[in-house]
Amino acid sequence: MRARFVLETLCGMALSAIAAAPALAADLAAGKEKAELCTACHGEGGISKTENIPSLAGQPDQFIQWQLVFFRSGTRKNEQMQPIVEQISNEDIRNLGAYFASLDPPKPSKPDDNPDLSQKGAQAAVGRRCAFCHTDTYAGTKAVARLAGQREDYLLKALHDYKSSTRSGGGMAAMAEVAYPLSEEEITALAHYLAHL
Amino acid sequence: MKSAFNRSILALAAMFVVAAAGQAGAQGKLKSYQSGTKEFWTHPPDDWFLGDETEAQKGLAPPSGPPTGASEAELAAMMKKIKLPPGFKIEVYAPGVLAARQMAWGDKGTLFVGSFGLGNVYAITDNGGKKQVKTILKGLNMPTGLAFRDGALYVIAVNKLIKYDNAEANLDKLGDGKVVYDDMPSYAAHGWKYLAADKDGWFYVPFGPPFNIGIPPTSVSQIRRVDPKTGNAELVALGVRNSVGGDVDPRSGKYWFTENARDWMSDDTPSDKLNIISKLGEHFGYPYCHQGNLPDPKFAMGHKCSEFTPPVLNLGAHVAPLGMKFYTGNQFPPEYKNSILIAEHGSWNRHKYQGARIVRVNADPDGKNAKETAFASGWIEGDRGYLGRPADVILDKDGSILVADDWAGAIYRISYSKK
Repeated sequence: MRARFVLETLCGMALSAIAAAPALAADLAAGKEKAELCTACHGEGGISKTENIPSLAGQPDQFIQWQLVFFRSGTRKNEQMQPIVEQISNEDIRNLGAYFASLDPPKPSKPDDNPDLSQKGAQAAVGRRCAFCHTDTYAGTKAVARLAGQREDYLLKALHDYKSSTRSGGGMAAMAEVAYPLSEEEITALAHYLAHL
Repeated sequence: MKSAFNRSILALAAMFVVAAAGQAGAQGKLKSYQSGTKEFWTHPPDDWFLGDETEAQKGLAPPSGPPTGASEAELAAMMKKIKLPPGFKIEVYAPGVLAARQMAWGDKGTLFVGSFGLGNVYAITDNGGKKQVKTILKGLNMPTGLAFRDGALYVIAVNKLIKYDNAEANLDKLGDGKVVYDDMPSYAAHGWKYLAADKDGWFYVPFGPPFNIGIPPTSVSQIRRVDPKTGNAELVALGVRNSVGGDVDPRSGKYWFTENARDWMSDDTPSDKLNIISKLGEHFGYPYCHQGNLPDPKFAMGHKCSEFTPPVLNLGAHVAPLGMKFYTGNQFPPEYKNSILIAEHGSWNRHKYQGARIVRVNADPDGKNAKETAFASGWIEGDRGYLGRPADVILDKDGSILVADDWAGAIYRISYSKK
């Protein structure tokens, strides 16, 4: 039963991914060139070495595109991103999305220093259905972010921003809805667990 | 909370051997409780939120559309796929209106359009047959709802009702406007709103709960009637979940509104609703009772559905009815007079999406004899794909209607011709 549901779900997602495929193809080389704007803050190869700045490597294409659209429209407010996005065209957005999605995702460099906290995080992730949108490996898909391997401090910041309604996110503000009832303990545990995947 | 976690870890120890071994995707078993019982809601276990999971619904997630909207070629292809009754046709009115939501007409023919998630308000003007789309406001907090009265544009963001005087003469320099009402909470989830004016110029304003299901904060899950002139507000309806559309019945002056029901029960329950406010302060059931006759498995809390006001019509599960208008024009056939046209945004919490169309409801002024017929459909592709998602309808002066689509980022025009 379960395998069939998984199969149906995957087929459904694959079909809708094909249906949603953009009519205009992205230019990876152009994306890589444009991404030179990004390395100063987001790091080489899209892997951030700076506190509270997220890694972009391996983020799904549509997720990157949507964040750039949100920054450009002013709905996500960020002083550092503002001057950058003012120059970005729709074509740049598509190219950057494709480029970052093509990069190898970050891998945790140190072993987990608090496996108990990770266990709590794994439990919270099951209870809050995170994998329903972020997928079983937390790699994300389409317009849903990759969580696995993201910076722990950034995951904390993002969850707090969603919980406080500072940030609403896409998909009809699904993250604002999901984050509202999270406790501080859950947020701490989730950030630690996901950062160490 | 710490003891709850420790207890739960012991209970689920086997599952986490797998997780600790470093395998990606520690799914484990989903828990389930007899959460409909009185014992559950008077003495819930510490990890009660883990209850009521359904493995069957795994993988359902709210989808996002093309970030830069549908191209003109995609829109042209889409128009050919929309099914309408005989004599009706659909065309693109304006492309490039990203995340388009509620529409409002200015006195001089400007079409104002709000947006979901982008913070924009647009003005569409007609320059000798060619539509020009301008972004006249930016950076607002979910300005989905708009109205236009006495020369002023009103925009409702999550927690501010803002008035821009003499708007059409100042499209390029609207400024910050004046906040005329802000006694509203700032919850982002279900915080986006819609404006419907009555003949006194007061606005009906909906407030949604900041989550799927639960006991909501007392400042939400309701509809208020707000006077933009004074900032006075009345509480006119309680027990409403997420309503993002409504209109005053020209026959009776009563306010009718659409309402989105909860998720994560099943593909086919509960149904979304069309309601009427007949009496000040009546309670429409949320969170205790859904669709007029379905007690919530966890939050019924001993209440019976007969305590609450039932809907005029159940519109179907996960169809997501949003903007609606009574048809008062003369272009459509006579049977459309005082029909309600409802924009259904379409599902996400269902294995096979439904809705994503315009439906027509005919009902008596007291809500009796309600009948629903499909009007415009064809925006769903396959089981879980969208070409577009209708969010609002508005009448044009010539009796045609305009439809806002926040997925494809465009406005369509549907018109009728006898020949």
